[in-house]
Amino acid sequence: MAEKKTCIDLSGTGLTDEELFARVPQDTSAVEKIVAPRYSYWRSVGRVFLSKRLNVIALALLVVVLAFTYIYPMFYTYDKFENLMDAAAKHLTPAAAIQKFGFHLRWIFGTGESGQPTFDAIWNGARISISIAILCTAINYTVGVVVGALWGFAKRVDVVMNEIRNVISVVPGTLVTSVMVLTFSPSFKTLVFAMCITGWISIAYSLRTQVIIIRDREYNLASKCLGTSTFHIATRNILPYMISFIVTMVATSIPGCIGTEAFLSYIGLGISENTLGKIVNTAQGALTVPGWEWEFWCPVLLSAFISIILFLVGQGLGDAADPRTHML
Amino acid sequence: MVNYFFRRLLRGCVSVAVAVSIIMLLLFVLLDKTLIFAEDEQYQKLANNQRTNYMYTVWEKYGYLDLVSYNDYLNELVASGELDEDLKARIATIGRTPEKDSDEVKKYVQQFTDYYSSQGYTVTRLDAVMASPNRVANGGGQSLFASLNTPTLTRVVGFFTSLLTFDNIHYVEEDIGERGLTFTLYDPVYGGEKFSPAIIGNGTFHKYLLYFDDKFPFIHQNFVKLTLGTSFSVNKGVDVFQTMTQSQGAYVQSMTYYPSGLNEISADDLHTATYSAGSREMNLVYQDRYSDDYTNVSLVKKSHSKIYYSFIISIIASCLTYALGLPLGILMAKKKDTWVDNLGNAYVIFMIAVPSLSYFFMFKAIATKLGIPTVFSLENPSIAMYFTPVLVSTISAVSGQMKWMRRYMVDQMNSDYAKFARAEGLSEFEIFTKHIFKNAAIPITHGIPGTIIMALSGSIMMENIYTVPGVGGLLVQAIGAYDNSVIVGVAFFYGALSIISSILGDITMSIMDPRISYTAKAR
Repeated sequence: MAEKKTCIDLSGTGLTDEELFARVPQDTSAVEKIVAPRYSYWRSVGRVFLSKRLNVIALALLVVVLAFTYIYPMFYTYDKFENLMDAAAKHLTPAAAIQKFGFHLRWIFGTGESGQPTFDAIWNGARISISIAILCTAINYTVGVVVGALWGFAKRVDVVMNEIRNVISVVPGTLVTSVMVLTFSPSFKTLVFAMCITGWISIAYSLRTQVIIIRDREYNLASKCLGTSTFHIATRNILPYMISFIVTMVATSIPGCIGTEAFLSYIGLGISENTLGKIVNTAQGALTVPGWEWEFWCPVLLSAFISIILFLVGQGLGDAADPRTHML
Repeated sequence: MVNYFFRRLLRGCVSVAVAVSIIMLLLFVLLDKTLIFAEDEQYQKLANNQRTNYMYTVWEKYGYLDLVSYNDYLNELVASGELDEDLKARIATIGRTPEKDSDEVKKYVQQFTDYYSSQGYTVTRLDAVMASPNRVANGGGQSLFASLNTPTLTRVVGFFTSLLTFDNIHYVEEDIGERGLTFTLYDPVYGGEKFSPAIIGNGTFHKYLLYFDDKFPFIHQNFVKLTLGTSFSVNKGVDVFQTMTQSQGAYVQSMTYYPSGLNEISADDLHTATYSAGSREMNLVYQDRYSDDYTNVSLVKKSHSKIYYSFIISIIASCLTYALGLPLGILMAKKKDTWVDNLGNAYVIFMIAVPSLSYFFMFKAIATKLGIPTVFSLENPSIAMYFTPVLVSTISAVSGQMKWMRRYMVDQMNSDYAKFARAEGLSEFEIFTKHIFKNAAIPITHGIPGTIIMALSGSIMMENIYTVPGVGGLLVQAIGAYDNSVIVGVAFFYGALSIISSILGDITMSIMDPRISYTAKAR
């Protein structure tokens, strides 16, 4: 049984039928408008990112890590040899170090072979390692994304770039980096250069594959038919798809760079400055002596922690950067 | 299809060639050539001019330059009849300084200088280094020579032309009797009674061209030899490929049946006999042992080759990786968004994020605590020493396998055919094993040939940390010692392996999935 609908009583308004039901002229400009809730890409990224508890924790920890990496060394300058003459200051466990020097953050991980505070050493090393990682990732991805986009779009570039990639992929990456470090002096700049010189090609290649997959989708064909310029298609139609992919790769790249640096310093090609890799590397000697295990486990675990935090934030951002997760 | 893969192979070869040229360019042009002496003991012992002369001799030997000494030049003149022995004896010794040369010497030194300068050589005259007015300092003798740097292009061409050497019965230049190959079913090395086929050559460089023994891979050939370059400091004077493949460790002595009929306990490996002209006549021991000039043998060593250790460890680790990673990945996909999946993901994240150096050290620390050997010893081999390297390689590789297997399974689970199969009423087990797994496994099979082939190259970090005497350490060792020929050789080896594995991976994938075709027409 259909329910009887109640009509709105218009007699109380005191208007005539002509006044109530006048023809509205057609607004041609409104025809093109689609009414949708206001959408801001970056605000949505922020919202999705912060809606996960793990992301918030990781972000908070990242702030702490970055503060210790870049701000903490301003207050406590690290000098490896400050306690060199003090024989009693070497190889101390945290408890012994605190007992000797009094309680301070610096001593909570004990001291190393020259009596240096392990805590300070780690952050000092992390500063260089993280700087290398961020710089390499920035360079590699800027070059990689631009070249990858071109590579995916232009057929003629594709032929040439495929051959270049074939050549570069044959050479072991370790070799390229080591030859660079051997040829030039082992400095910060050299290491960044060495890690970037071939690093971008794999990024560009994976981006090229993604671009090719999406390039010929129907909506892009339609867009092209409607006269959209290639640049517009690249930046407006395809780039949003790529962002989550790129951010996810960046997330793995930063810990990857820290790992590469650690590896290079292990095989004796590291730079002369103090880095995480160098600390981990020298710490392994402490492992064989009973009572010195702290010296090994602290840097190893802390470097692992720093890498994981960087990775988690990156991965969370990668998920949030995907426009498909923005639906309410 | 065959055509397509043949073209891929050709393009791969070109890529390797270009890559090797680039590496050589980097090493021989950019790198200071005195660096190769960094680990050379003989270089450290020499002083003054003697050291300079030694450097030039070594550079010539390793293909950096062409060297002609003043004496070489005089000998040449004697050979061509322009000079007689008396005059040569008088002018062979140059003065301590150019001013002290006699007029005769001056004339020939000038002739030498003019001749080689006109050919583009750099003529170097080292004056005697004096310790006191009348005494020449240690190693300070004067010398005169001309040198011409070899262009890198020539080196690159030289590398590729000497890459493969084919042994033939016309190798030996001297008169050696009837040349030819003989096939025998009873290898004389084993006393001639044991059944063991072998091909023996006369006139060839190697005596044994095909033979069997108890060393991996059990059948050996010497028809074609791969030459990757001679090592300078890693394994002095030995070819890189030989360094990888020859046995290592302590000598093993056993009853050896020499060709002369002499039976003696010795470590000589008669299968490796190569021709050395006139050697039998020169050496009394050889006369007792051998009946011909095939006397140059290497010694039997107790342990396996570098490539063997790398391969065995990597292959066991890879089998374990597939055996563990695939089921775990499937399990994670099946229990998606439960604690099983989360735990697996946490593990994968840990392995991706943490620098491998850190966790290699961590596992080493844990293994030491548990009392498992973490050092690979050739002197006291045991099964236990394989344990840590295999386990650590597996643990680090399994995370990648889990990640991808989960990814592929989840992708397939959401596909229409899986939903349709479910709607048709198939059991979950059937859907997983018969439909989803089959499709998800296709990309996995692409990696299998690569895993097997790349096992030959070992792992740099794992082998270094657990002191495995494998191939992986070779590159690092060579880089550390500035042994450029070894770097080039190893890089070529890696490059060739990666090209082959990529092609084989594509072939396997197309066999597993008939829908995949690499030719444009069939698409």
